[in-house]
Amino acid sequence: MALDLFFLVRALVFPGFLFLLVLVLFFDWFERKVAARFQNRMGPSYAGPFGILQPIADYIKLFSKEDITPETTNKFLFVVAPLLAFSLFVFALFFIPIDGSNVILNSSFEGDLLLVLLLISVANFGMFLSGWASLNPYSEIGATRILTQFLGYDIPLILLAIGPAFLARSLSIVTITASQTLPFAILIPWSCALFIIVLQAELEKDPFDIPHAETEIVGGYETEYSGRKLAFIKLSEDFQFLIGASLVTMLFLGGAHGPAFYGPPEIWYAFWFMVKTLGVVFILEYIGNVSARLRIDQVVHGNWKLLIPLSLLSLALTIIIEPLLRSVIV
Amino acid sequence: MNKFENAVDILKTDLADAILELKVPRPKKAYILLKPERHRDAVSLLLKNVEESMLSTISGVDLGNEIELNYHMVCEGTVTLKNRVPKEKPVTKTITDILPGANLYEREVFDLLGVVFEGHPNLKRLLLPDVWPQGNYPLRRDWTPPVTKEEDFSSEEALQTESEDDSGSIINVVVGPQHPVLHEPERFSFKIDGETVVDVEPHLGYVHRGIEKAAERMMYFQDVFLVERICGICNAAHTTVFCQAVEDIGNIETPPRALYLRTAIHELNRVHSHLLLLGVGGHLIGFEALFQHVWRDREPVMDIVERITGNRLMSGFNTIGGVRRDIDPNTIEKTLKTVKAVKKRAVFYKKVFEEDATLRLRTEGVGVLSREDALKLCVVGPVLRGSGVASDVRKDDPYAAYADIPFNVISYKECDTWARLMVRVDEVVESLDIIEYALSNLPGGRLRVRVQRKIPEGEAVSRVEAPRGELIHYVKSDGTAYPYRVKVRAPTLANLMAFPGAIRGAYIADIPSVMGSLDPCFSCTDRMAFIDTKNGKRWHWSLDEVNSSENQKALI
Repeated sequence: MALDLFFLVRALVFPGFLFLLVLVLFFDWFERKVAARFQNRMGPSYAGPFGILQPIADYIKLFSKEDITPETTNKFLFVVAPLLAFSLFVFALFFIPIDGSNVILNSSFEGDLLLVLLLISVANFGMFLSGWASLNPYSEIGATRILTQFLGYDIPLILLAIGPAFLARSLSIVTITASQTLPFAILIPWSCALFIIVLQAELEKDPFDIPHAETEIVGGYETEYSGRKLAFIKLSEDFQFLIGASLVTMLFLGGAHGPAFYGPPEIWYAFWFMVKTLGVVFILEYIGNVSARLRIDQVVHGNWKLLIPLSLLSLALTIIIEPLLRSVIV
Repeated sequence: MNKFENAVDILKTDLADAILELKVPRPKKAYILLKPERHRDAVSLLLKNVEESMLSTISGVDLGNEIELNYHMVCEGTVTLKNRVPKEKPVTKTITDILPGANLYEREVFDLLGVVFEGHPNLKRLLLPDVWPQGNYPLRRDWTPPVTKEEDFSSEEALQTESEDDSGSIINVVVGPQHPVLHEPERFSFKIDGETVVDVEPHLGYVHRGIEKAAERMMYFQDVFLVERICGICNAAHTTVFCQAVEDIGNIETPPRALYLRTAIHELNRVHSHLLLLGVGGHLIGFEALFQHVWRDREPVMDIVERITGNRLMSGFNTIGGVRRDIDPNTIEKTLKTVKAVKKRAVFYKKVFEEDATLRLRTEGVGVLSREDALKLCVVGPVLRGSGVASDVRKDDPYAAYADIPFNVISYKECDTWARLMVRVDEVVESLDIIEYALSNLPGGRLRVRVQRKIPEGEAVSRVEAPRGELIHYVKSDGTAYPYRVKVRAPTLANLMAFPGAIRGAYIADIPSVMGSLDPCFSCTDRMAFIDTKNGKRWHWSLDEVNSSENQKALI
């Protein structure tokens, strides 16, 4: 019974659902504030100190709005798709060892890195379905763009994720983080840099925010959505952002591990995770703010002609110098 | 001999038999009355013999028994070719086959004056709504608003849909009247195959306010404030050009101090309009940081405009015979300081536009408008100069104080979106230099001369280089305090013709950036219709009807 309670607390409170939700809202605020400063603006500043409660206010507002399902849509898919995407992203996060181990204890296994990458891909199909079910020309174009862009970035993303896995000789995220006495970002910086760029596409951020380019196709795949369903889409996007940033932390920055100032290192895990991930968010925002949106043809060409060969090259380079690095990898 | 004199000479010698009357009242302005139906000869003669000659617009005037069509040709100056058609049978030949740029202008005259142009490829209504009753031409002098019943405006007609092409993979995407790209209501129906634009059809008239008609019912000095409201951004351009036309008819000498001040405020308008567009350009291609930074740098310029004129946008600065407010030394000092600061930023933005890789990827080679097409379609302003034609009214036909002020005409040969944006970046720097020069060398003396309410009989064409391009007003006076006819052609109408050609075959993602690079301003172009959103009914009211208390209540 006591074990069950412990399990429930881990799944629902810390580091499970509630903690993740608060974390996602905090990241949302951080992202907005950073972007605003890059753009010489204030950013959220009314709700709470420094506007930190603004994302909560936004979600409360969205959840309390009238729930509209347009007549012409495919109603079942229209309602289910956002929920599907949302739950898949949350599920994927359960395999990220935020406090050193997975949310559900001992659920880590050899190959969960692949599972997380797979879940992200499937969740993206959820986003695509939500646009496709809208039967609105803007949504259809937006949905098509998700798939087109997906064809471009998915392969290099997986190729680049293999680098750290190869160094750690494991496909388990927990093992990969544990084997980084020196972060892989220092050992194989080329891989890390490329991973961040490809991640930008996966997260649909500038210069790759093509599926919801507002000046071209209004809201893209989310044009017909409002109220609760829109809230779930927005939450999915926020969760996706957190997963993307934490993947960089896990694969290249040593995960939740870091120096402990006092006490056992375990109590610092969540802290180091957040600090590193916020750093990654800052870099992602920086890239997004110094570039214009590319065109879909440019992205597909760029991915196939540039990023895939580069990813292969970086993987090859990693394999070649791996023997030299053996001494610093646990 | 300059290009203008050359053009007049050619007409005089080669077309002597067709000319009934020729007047050159002041340099670079010629008015030529032709025998009926000889306008095609005159236009093709000018196009063949005078380089870079274009059509500004066609203005129709109801003379009682005849309708006079004025073809305002640009050959450095303006040569106005007059062709008169009988009012009972208002039919004439089109010039769209010689000059495709005349397309929209002929449609406008057909719409508002009922002149039929034989051979026009697509003679449809342009500005008035589709449900407008047949046979009603509002710009004819004898027209009175028809007494209509509600049934006359069938709502089915008003809400007619596009012709759907369901074959294959073509998707019809309607952009507007409400869309994030458009900051003003206008509608474009695109046909899209995958990510490629197959065709586009613009629909105008959503903000048509009947200002030309309203201007005939107000006195000249009132009209100054009316034309100012055609467009918020280029308000100084509209008042300058209207005042110039009236001053021209009335032979009014504007004091030099007023001319310098007009120039300064006109250029401040240009600076903030260009900065606005450059910011919007950044937004349209997804470069939010650029957008926000440029708009912040635009604010000091707006503050200066407010300090000088008392208002951020509607300046109410110009009046017939001069300007309405003086500028004090403190303001001059403050302005020069701001000008210096903004210039530093403008130079920085030039570097950004030249060096940023993603920005160039999105704008280079996109929306190409060749030099030949630009001239054929008679586009104006930065769009024309971005296609390699160094044409600028300020240089070609100097007005206000531009004859005394040194500045360069910017032009780029790349003919794409990037070139059109770069023209504007460079022009901001040039404009800031002009403001600096004008305020440092401001002559003393009076601000304005007193002008009679009644303006003697006559006509005048007046042109200025508004931020978006050549702006032309044609004013005709019959010797009373009310103008007989005011014709306005805003630069966007001229540039709109270039849009379908530049966008065909491009990607969806290029729609915003190409449209943005033309800097469309639809309130200028449409110049009031009331729309009842419940049943799609549209109707027009005259000014008196709008003012009547009953209708006031209904509007609220």
